[in-house]
Amino acid sequence: MKRTVPMLITGISGFVLLISFFIPYTEGWGEKAAIWFDILAAVAFILGGGNLLKIHFKKISKRAAGWGFSAVTVIAFVATLTIGLGKVGSNPAQQQQMYGSALAQLELSDLPESQTFSVEGQIPTHANKTAVPFIVRDQLTQDGQNITFRGWIQPLQVAALSGFQDELEWLATVEALARAAQPPETLRGKIGYDAGNSRLTFQGRMSQDDQADLKALDSSNATWTAAVESLFQQSRRTSTVDFSSLPAGFKIPGPLKDSLVVDKSKKQLSMTGPMSPGQRAALSNQFRPTPPLPKGPRREAFITAIGKHGPPLNKSQLATLNNLLDGGWNAQQLIIAVSTAGEPQEVRKSARELLDEKTAAEQTGQVADLKPTRTIGETTRLNEAQEDLLRAFAENTAQPVAELTKQLGEAGTLSDPQVSALTRFISQISTTGERNRTLCFALLANGPLSSGQRDFLLDDVRTEFLWHRTAGALFVAAHQPRFPWSGEYREQGSPFWWLYEYTFKPLTASMFAMLAFYVASAAFRAFRAKNLEAILLLGTAFIILLGRTFAGATLTSWLPDSIAGLKIENLTVTIMTVFNTAGNRAIMIGIALGIAATSLKVLLGVDRSYLGSQED
Amino acid sequence: MYHFLSTLDRRWIFLLMGAAVTIPILLELQFPEEATSLAHAVFNEIEQLEEGDPVLLAFDYDPASEGELGPMATAFVRHCCEKKLKIYFIALWPVGPQMIDDSINRVIKTDFPDMVYGEDYVNLGFKPGNEGVIKVIVTDLKQLYSTDDRGTDLDQIPMCRDLVNIQSMDLVAEVSAGYPGVKEWVQYAATPYPDQIRLVAGCTGVGAPLLYPYMPEQLKGLLGAIKGAAEYEKLVVDRYDREAGREPDLKYLEGKRRMGPQLVAHILMVVLIVVGNIVFFVGRSREGTNS
Repeated sequence: MKRTVPMLITGISGFVLLISFFIPYTEGWGEKAAIWFDILAAVAFILGGGNLLKIHFKKISKRAAGWGFSAVTVIAFVATLTIGLGKVGSNPAQQQQMYGSALAQLELSDLPESQTFSVEGQIPTHANKTAVPFIVRDQLTQDGQNITFRGWIQPLQVAALSGFQDELEWLATVEALARAAQPPETLRGKIGYDAGNSRLTFQGRMSQDDQADLKALDSSNATWTAAVESLFQQSRRTSTVDFSSLPAGFKIPGPLKDSLVVDKSKKQLSMTGPMSPGQRAALSNQFRPTPPLPKGPRREAFITAIGKHGPPLNKSQLATLNNLLDGGWNAQQLIIAVSTAGEPQEVRKSARELLDEKTAAEQTGQVADLKPTRTIGETTRLNEAQEDLLRAFAENTAQPVAELTKQLGEAGTLSDPQVSALTRFISQISTTGERNRTLCFALLANGPLSSGQRDFLLDDVRTEFLWHRTAGALFVAAHQPRFPWSGEYREQGSPFWWLYEYTFKPLTASMFAMLAFYVASAAFRAFRAKNLEAILLLGTAFIILLGRTFAGATLTSWLPDSIAGLKIENLTVTIMTVFNTAGNRAIMIGIALGIAATSLKVLLGVDRSYLGSQED
Repeated sequence: MYHFLSTLDRRWIFLLMGAAVTIPILLELQFPEEATSLAHAVFNEIEQLEEGDPVLLAFDYDPASEGELGPMATAFVRHCCEKKLKIYFIALWPVGPQMIDDSINRVIKTDFPDMVYGEDYVNLGFKPGNEGVIKVIVTDLKQLYSTDDRGTDLDQIPMCRDLVNIQSMDLVAEVSAGYPGVKEWVQYAATPYPDQIRLVAGCTGVGAPLLYPYMPEQLKGLLGAIKGAAEYEKLVVDRYDREAGREPDLKYLEGKRRMGPQLVAHILMVVLIVVGNIVFFVGRSREGTNS
C-alpha cells in the first residue's frame, strides 16, 4: 500500500498530463493535475525546511565536523523564517486599509433584512463563462425576474459589475442597482459593509442620532445592535499627539471642526474618532501658497534678504534664481485657468439614457446613432470684478479659498467647474517653504551658500515638515488598522528587508563573483593543449572570450569585407549558431528520447526506484 | 622564470583577477558596443508593439546573477514604459519579487511617475511550482493568481479584471539565471501555443549556449549576459535618448559600464591560458630532455 498509492498517483497524473497535451477536450484535466502539482510544490518548501533542520540538528548533536557551520545555518534559517513569517516591523498594507473608518465584525446574514434591495433584471453570462466578480459574489443573487443585493453597494463593486458585461441593458441594470442599494438618506456616505471581510464600517465620528438611526434598522437583532454599539465606541475614541509649534495663524479646518481639539498649554492635538485622508490633508495644508515674485522691488528685496545672510550671489546663481522665479505662477495664469473651466462640459451619458435613446430609435424604425456624451452648462466668463479679485489674491495668498470663492460668486457668475479649477490651481501652488527649498538646492548647484543663507531659505520648509509629521502622527494614531498582519514582509526598512539587503544580497553576490577567481586559476593550471580535442576546445574558448568583447572586434577590424566572416565577432556568431546549436540539438533530442523511455517505465510501474528501497 | 611560473601561488592569480576587475571600474573604462542581430531581434519585438499592448515580464533571477542580468531587466522595463505598454510582472524564483521591486523603483517610480499601479503595471509576484505554474497560467491565470503581490484581489485591479491567461499577452520577456527559466517558458508556453505566445529572453553567459537551439521559432530573440544587455540598452538609448537629443541617465548604460571590467578580465583569461600552456610545453620538453 505504501508503495502502490504513490505509484498510482504518479501513473495517473502522468497519463492525464500526456492525454491533455494531445486531446484539446481534456486540457482542463491537465490543468487540474498541474494545480495539484503546484500545491505539492508549495508543500515541498515546508518539507525542505523541515529536512534542513533535521540534517543540521543531527550534525550539531553529534558534534560532527563542521557542526559550527550547521549551527550558523540553523540560526540564520530560524531567524529569517520567524522575521519573515511574523512580518516583524511591517506596517499593515495600505491598500487593505479603510482610512477614516471605524470597523466592527458582522456576518452578512446579520445585516438588517430591510437593507436588501431588488431591481428588475437578469445576471448575464460572461463572455468567458466566468462567475460574477468575486467582490459581489456573496451579496448578489438572482431571484426570479429580479436581481437582489444584500447590503449597500460600494463604488468598487459597481465598477466590477459594470466591467462584467458591456451590454447597455446590463449597464442600465447596474445603474439602477447602484441607486437602489444605498443606506437611508441620513446615513449615506457614512455607513458601509465589506462583505468579503464581514466588516461593518462607519466613516468619521458617529453622532447619537446616527447611532439611533442605525439601531432602528433592526432593533430586534442583538448582533446588529452590538456591532453598531462597537462602531459607536470606536468612532469616538480619542487619540492624542504632541506638537512642537502651531503654524502661524492656525485655525481648525472645517472638516475637523467637530473632532479636533488643540491644547496650546500642553502642546497637544486630540482627535476624536478616525481621521480620513481628506481631513489629514486639511490639517496638513496650513501653509499659504507662495505669492508670485515678479521682476521688481519685491524680488529685489528677496535677493537682498538672501545677501544679508551671507556673501552676495554670483552671476550664475542670480541667473538661476531669476529663471526659477520667472517660471513660477502669476495672476494671469490663474485667471485663464478659471475662465477656461467656464466652457460647457462634456459629460458621459448614463446607460439608461443611451438605452432609452436606442429604444426610441428602434420604435421609429431608425438606426440609433448613440453619442456617448452630452454637453451641460453654458459658457461662463469672468467679469472685470472677478478678475480683480483673482489679481488681489495673487498679492495676498493668505486669503482662504472658501472666502475667495464666496467673493467671486457674489461678484458674478461662477460655475462648479470653475470653482473646481480654482481650488485645483491653488492647491498646486508651492508653499513659500517648498519654493525656497527648490531655490536653495538650485543655488547650491551653481555656487556656495553660507549656513546663514541656507537656514534663511530652509527654515520655512523645516517648520512645514514638522507640522506635516505631526499631522501624519495623528492620522496614524487615530487609525484603526484593518488586517494588522496584511503588510509586506519585505517592506523597506523592516528587519526582513535589512536581512535581505545587507546579508543575503551581498553574500550571494560574493559567492557568484568568486567564480571569476577560481576560473582564472583553473585556466592557468588546467586548460592545457594536451591533445587534438583540447586544442579545438582551446581555440573555441579563445574566439568566444575575445569575440564577446570590444577587444575581439578591434583585433580583426583590419580584415577586408570579402573575408568578413573571419572577423572574431562573426566567428563567434558562427560557432554559437552552427556548431553549438547543432551539438546541443543532438544532445537535446537524445535526452528527450531518454526521458520518454524513462517516463514510460515510471508510469507503467516498471521503474520504481523513485519510491525508495524496499527496506524503507 | 619557468620555476616561478610552474610553482606560481594561486593567490597571485587571484590578485591579478582582482586588479583586472577593479582597475577598469575605478578608471571607468568603457568601450563602444555594436548591436548584433540577436539584440536587434529582441528590440524589434518590443518596438513593433502598440501603446497599451500587454506584455509579461518574468524575472527569474536572484542577487547572485543581478550583476549579469540587472541591466537587461532595467532596459526591458524602460523600453516597455517608453512604448506605454501594459506591464505584468511575474516571478518563479523566491527572490524574484525583490528583483521586480528593484526594477520598479529604479525605472518606473523614478522616471515614469505618471504610470499608475494596477492600470499601467502590476506585480503578480512569486508562485512556487516552477514549470507547473507556467503550465497552468498559459490556460487559466486566475486558477493560481487570485491576488497580486500586495494581496489585492485581481478582480479589483483594472488591468487584471479581464485577464484570462497569458495567451492574451502580446509578448513574454523572460530574464532568467537558470531553472526555472527560459527553457521552461519555451517548453510550456511558447511551444504549445506558437501562434499566441511570442517569447524573447535574457540569460546568463553560461545559459546562453543551451538556448540557441530554440531560435528563431520558439525564441524570437536572446540577450546573452552583460554583452547582450549592453547591446540592447544601446538600441534603447539610441532610440529614446539620442534621437531626442538628450544624454541618457547612467543607469540605462549600466551594461556598457560593466563590459569594461569584463573585457580586461577576458584578456587576462586569454593571457593566463597562453602562459599556462607555455609552462606546460616547456615542462614537457624538459622532461623529455631529462629522460
